[in-house]
Amino acid sequence: MKRILLVCGSGICTSTAVNQKVTKALEDRGLKGQFQITQGKASEVAEKSKQFDLVISTTVLGGECHCPLVIGTAFLLGRGTEPIVDQIVEILQK
Amino acid sequence: MSYFLGFFQYISDLGATVMMPIIICIMGCILGAGFGKSLRAGLTVGIGFIGLNLVTGLMGDNLAPAVTQMAERFGLSLSVIDVGWPAAAQIAFASTVGTIIIPVCLAVNIVMLLTNTTQTVDVDIWDYWHFAFTGALVAVVTGNQVYGVIAAILNMVIIMVLGDWTAGGVEETLGLPGVSLPHGFTTAYAPIAMLFDWILDKIPGVNKISFDIEKMQKKFGVFGEPILVGTVLGIVIGAVAGYDIPAILQLGVNLGAVLVLIPKMAALLMEGLIPVSDAASEFIEKKFSNRGKIYIGLDSAVGVGHPMTLSVALVLVPITIFLAVLLPGNQVMPFADLAVIPWMFVLITPVVKGNGFRALIIGIITLAAGLYIATDLSQWITPAAQKAGFDMGSATAISSICDGANPLTWAITRLNWINPFVGIAVVGVIAVGLALMNRKKILKEAAEMHAAG
Repeated sequence: MKRILLVCGSGICTSTAVNQKVTKALEDRGLKGQFQITQGKASEVAEKSKQFDLVISTTVLGGECHCPLVIGTAFLLGRGTEPIVDQIVEILQK
Repeated sequence: MSYFLGFFQYISDLGATVMMPIIICIMGCILGAGFGKSLRAGLTVGIGFIGLNLVTGLMGDNLAPAVTQMAERFGLSLSVIDVGWPAAAQIAFASTVGTIIIPVCLAVNIVMLLTNTTQTVDVDIWDYWHFAFTGALVAVVTGNQVYGVIAAILNMVIIMVLGDWTAGGVEETLGLPGVSLPHGFTTAYAPIAMLFDWILDKIPGVNKISFDIEKMQKKFGVFGEPILVGTVLGIVIGAVAGYDIPAILQLGVNLGAVLVLIPKMAALLMEGLIPVSDAASEFIEKKFSNRGKIYIGLDSAVGVGHPMTLSVALVLVPITIFLAVLLPGNQVMPFADLAVIPWMFVLITPVVKGNGFRALIIGIITLAAGLYIATDLSQWITPAAQKAGFDMGSATAISSICDGANPLTWAITRLNWINPFVGIAVVGVIAVGLALMNRKKILKEAAEMHAAG
């Protein structure tokens, strides 16, 4: 089980929207049941990222991140998501 | 139009928890999300409302008596509870204007795109509530829902134009190309930031001051944790109010719970709106993807992670509380919205070009003014909340230092309070004027692009 931390400004709005889209995209790639997504705030990344395998952020991040990081703003735009999904899948299968 | 609105009045009288599932379900079906999915989405929103009411009731019951007692002991005038933006969103969506806000705003966006008065396809359907909030307040001050709808439309036009104009800064400073942030709260601060940045630039000496504020993020990081802010604030308020030790500790844990639980409930609201929002944004994007330079309008949350935005906002949390106590005439006790100060800075950050000193000065000015605005607007937010079936607990007056302190919302509401004809005319002239200026700019750029291509 890979642990994904999905962050936005508040841990509420855009991360909820992107959570559904990432979950669907990963399940479509046959990864159902192999990942677990936790939502959080951008300001928590420095502290929490140690416990995760991957951070997906919908916002710019300034601080440190202790695991691979993917910027997921594309999921909100609804275009250009395929390369991002490829990247996420690659990190998860490592 | 009044029959039409009368129908929505009836539906909104059913109460938000019944009305929202119906509205969302119908809207989801119309936009092609399917009945099952739409029904589940609608019920999720209704459940979010019920959850929010439980938490805000808990907040009112605990915080209001403590603040009252504290105010009485020390002769403070704090009597208005800051219930936070999730409550404001609930009030907005549950208002009569709110029930029709999504189709109305979609129509406004389409008309603006067709007339070349905007370059933004605003897919951030969720944040239409800011416009509905202004509309709901105007409906309360004028007693007329039609004025409310018009005010919401004009509010959106102004924000859409400002969104286009700040898109360059969004790309440069926040690293988000092709994105604009037409956000009812964030974007209203862009012109204010431009004005004060210009003034600070003209003061000899002061215009040389600049400091890096980002290092303060670690020191002030604790102010970004709702669980600690709520608990500590509860303990302090309880102690100042003269509670005994057990009551102080209970107040602390209760208020910590409130600040942690409110966002969870708001997430349900958001989750329920996703199918409608997805379908609507797909619809509008499909229609307009083949045009010239187009920005996608997103929630300003995508810019909140900028280190300066976060740092300045954290530093301002304790400053806001001190201002609330010290400023004569302020009645608002800041609480739930202390967590959303970063949203105020998303567009201030690009305007001041990373100068922490200016961001801090502009922040203090806007928050001080914001407290007075929130105090002033509470006389209309409170009845709007009651009308929306909002549970205030034992609080008698509420406001918010997010949208309840929004200068644009305040200006539109106050102008309509003077006289709805004057209000609509003045705001209308400004909105149409901005839209025409934007049209000129868009057409000029299109001609240049054409000539170059």
